[in-house]
Amino acid sequence: MGLLDAVFKKKAAGVRKLGDDDLFDDEFQRKLEYLALVSRRVFAGRSRAERRTKKSGSGIEFADHRDYQPGDDFRYLDWNVYQRFGRLLLRLYEEEEDLSIYFIVDVSGSMAFGDRAKLRYAKQIAAALAYVGLANLDRVSIVSTADRVLERMQPTRGKARIFKVFRFLKAVEPAGATDLEDALKTFVAQNKRRGLAVLISDLYDPAGFERGINVLRYNKFDPFVVHVVDHAEGKPKLSGDVLLYDCETGEEREVTVTARVLTAFHEAYEAYLSDIARFCATRQVPYIQADVAQPFDDLILRVFRRGGFLR
Amino acid sequence: MIFSGLPLAQMLAIFGAASAFVVALYILKLRRRTVSVPFGKLWRRVLKDKEATSLFSKLKRLLSLLLQLALLAMLVVALGDPRARAAIIKGRTLVVLVDASASMQATDVTPPAKTRLDAAREEVKKMLRGLGGSDRMLIAQMDSQVTALGPMSGDTSELERALDLLRPTDARADFPRALRFANDALRGADSPEIVIVSDGALGEAKDASGAVHLGDARLTFLPIGQSTRNLAISQFSVRRYPLDKNRYEVMLEVTNTGPEAEDVELSLLGDGALVDLSKLRLKPGERLPRFYPNLSGASRALEAKLTPMGDSKDELPADNHAYALLPERRRAKVLVVTAGNTYLEAALLLDEYLEVTLITPRAYADKYRSSELRTDVVIFDGVTPAQPPKAHAIYLDPRGPGAPVKVDAELKSPGFDRIDRKHPIIRWTALDDVNIARGRKLVGEPGDKAVGASVEGPILVAGTRGGFRFVAMGFDARDSDLPLRVAWPLLLLNSINWFTDEDARYISSFRTGEVWRVPVGANNATATLKKPGGATEQVPVHEGRAVYLGQRAGFYELSTVAPGGEPQTTTFAANLLDGEESTIAPVPELLVDGKKAGRLEGFQIGVRREIWIYLLLLVVLLTVLEWATYHRRLTV
Repeated sequence: MGLLDAVFKKKAAGVRKLGDDDLFDDEFQRKLEYLALVSRRVFAGRSRAERRTKKSGSGIEFADHRDYQPGDDFRYLDWNVYQRFGRLLLRLYEEEEDLSIYFIVDVSGSMAFGDRAKLRYAKQIAAALAYVGLANLDRVSIVSTADRVLERMQPTRGKARIFKVFRFLKAVEPAGATDLEDALKTFVAQNKRRGLAVLISDLYDPAGFERGINVLRYNKFDPFVVHVVDHAEGKPKLSGDVLLYDCETGEEREVTVTARVLTAFHEAYEAYLSDIARFCATRQVPYIQADVAQPFDDLILRVFRRGGFLR
Repeated sequence: MIFSGLPLAQMLAIFGAASAFVVALYILKLRRRTVSVPFGKLWRRVLKDKEATSLFSKLKRLLSLLLQLALLAMLVVALGDPRARAAIIKGRTLVVLVDASASMQATDVTPPAKTRLDAAREEVKKMLRGLGGSDRMLIAQMDSQVTALGPMSGDTSELERALDLLRPTDARADFPRALRFANDALRGADSPEIVIVSDGALGEAKDASGAVHLGDARLTFLPIGQSTRNLAISQFSVRRYPLDKNRYEVMLEVTNTGPEAEDVELSLLGDGALVDLSKLRLKPGERLPRFYPNLSGASRALEAKLTPMGDSKDELPADNHAYALLPERRRAKVLVVTAGNTYLEAALLLDEYLEVTLITPRAYADKYRSSELRTDVVIFDGVTPAQPPKAHAIYLDPRGPGAPVKVDAELKSPGFDRIDRKHPIIRWTALDDVNIARGRKLVGEPGDKAVGASVEGPILVAGTRGGFRFVAMGFDARDSDLPLRVAWPLLLLNSINWFTDEDARYISSFRTGEVWRVPVGANNATATLKKPGGATEQVPVHEGRAVYLGQRAGFYELSTVAPGGEPQTTTFAANLLDGEESTIAPVPELLVDGKKAGRLEGFQIGVRREIWIYLLLLVVLLTVLEWATYHRRLTV
């Protein structure tokens, strides 16, 4: 056996090509059941489908006041407050309703970079959280996006629908560049019913990740960011003169990669991750960093502990 | 500066072509490896800073090109083999004469060298390391002859190979011959210099042709050795008694050449068995002769060995061992044709190794007229055959036409007035006052030797006829008082020994460093010589004698095979036995042609005068530097 053969065989053995066929295997489903049980234990005492939304509406329990805006229903004006302070304030009530959970899975080219690890991880996270949501009788809907909304799974509820989720996620293929703003504008337009919007993405948006998240925020969705990261991307194995091209945009750039350049890139990568975390923290957007090297079930438990997904 | 390699025009052409190629390589833009990245925006952010230094990058690229061109220039200049003009003029032509004589086997050297010769070899190696770029050297071994070990060369590896051929000998150095050789080799050369690497025991630079004149050549002496303490066997000889060849005597001499008194054990061995052992004390410089008379036994090979005792020191083991061989005894067949001669018969009885047959002249004539003689020697006593026998012969009072010499007129009261005392047949005899009643003048042929002659003419002649030797005595011994003297049997036995080559001049051992002429039985063109170490060599045979320049002490075996005959083997011994070689005290100064030899200079170790080597080293250094900086991404 030649040296090259040996090297290539070793390389081939080290990189296991994972297909989507074994994405949701029995082992995965067992883990989902376990996660559902854990979620019940964590949120024991809360009745099913009793999520409260801070909406002016027909709820019983008073929640808050807000200034009157032209067009508001006069029936919710608090006349007592008007009498005492001369201000028109609207009474808000906690409205009880079943929660809509939207899983927005980024399937742009960057998610499938390398050995598709990020995309697989994103699908597994989406499936796991969807199962927990379905088990809690929430209305679960999944959309795949890139620079627009690509596929959409209609809202559904009940544990039995999990296979529909699996089928949908399996069928999703990576395509296109990332433009979260455009895609999520379409998403909010298509989904009038507000709810929890779980954005599962690597947030590699040339136009800026902030815009996409802000679209959800401004349209009264409760955004929950699951940031899929592969730390290997922060330390690319490059050296010498290379021509870099962006796998989404196709933009090319000649670079001579030196140790100094690699260090600078790594610093830039870490700074980018920090920017995202800082943005979410300052906007009170729940944020979870999902490292592909971490087992997905650990991540799901972290999501539960972080809060914001299940209330 | 001049170029002794490629001419300048050719170098410029090579540089032009190669630099054009290098520049073309720099101008050509190689297609870069394409690598996909997930998020180009991040790279854009990083490279924004890098672009700020692109001017510096371009400068580095230009510097890299200039460095490559500089490397190329240095390589091309190296091809031209540049040399300083001064170095070319000062190039020396050296002949290094390394003494390989016996005294150079002395062990008074600092390890790892074992002998003075090893130390000499190391010294010459040091010289080679400091040899100038335009210097040329010839290394020669100086022993009893002078042997160039390689060609005249400036290539140090070739000279080192030549130096490895240096071998010690048990002979003395022929210094004048070596100097003449060096002079011849340096004739017409630039800056000629002769370097003598020796302990200085070389003797005077003078031979049969007179003193050696060095001419323009500079003489340099590199002394080797420190100690002076040595014990030696300076003489060793053995012989059989002429009249009792069963017995022999040994004479040897032990010398202390050092400045201190030494105790020594002297062993005498016969065929490897101890014959005598004695302990001696020798004063500084003392020569002590030892004599062992009346030894008997079947021993042939005799050896003498010296072993220093106690605190005594002996730095030269080569002269502690001496070898000798007794002449081999062979039963010679002697046919005596006589009517009856008691004196003759009695004389022949003295040597029991003679197989004597007496026969009357009539019986000889009848018996051997037609048939071949199967005898070594025939003695004709008062008779002369018509045809000479096909054997060596002694004619006592020859007569008639069959005599090997012309028998002339009768002489009254002749005597031995003239005697060739060097002739072997009269060795140890005293013939001057022999009284002879009457005799006859013998007239030999050209080539015959008149060994003894009266005033009127020769009366004892020796010569050769038809390949056989003869001795003719012009009188009847009974008409003189010769049979009453010891000279009578000696004369007869000497003659028989001369015929059979078993004469008393037998050399019990040869001297190393001399040309040996060893008698061989067959008349072959070559003979096989087995040397003390066991190695064999074909040696030429000239006039029945093998000719060989022997340089090692020990026992030798010479074999010949006559065509269709039995193989014949002759054994002989060789010894150093040279007082001058045994005097190992190193000589600090050497005088030749009235001039004192100078000290070695001009060999700076590690400094070579070839510039191309330094250019090449610089190229390698710069390439390593470039490699290191490239891999540390400093020059990318």
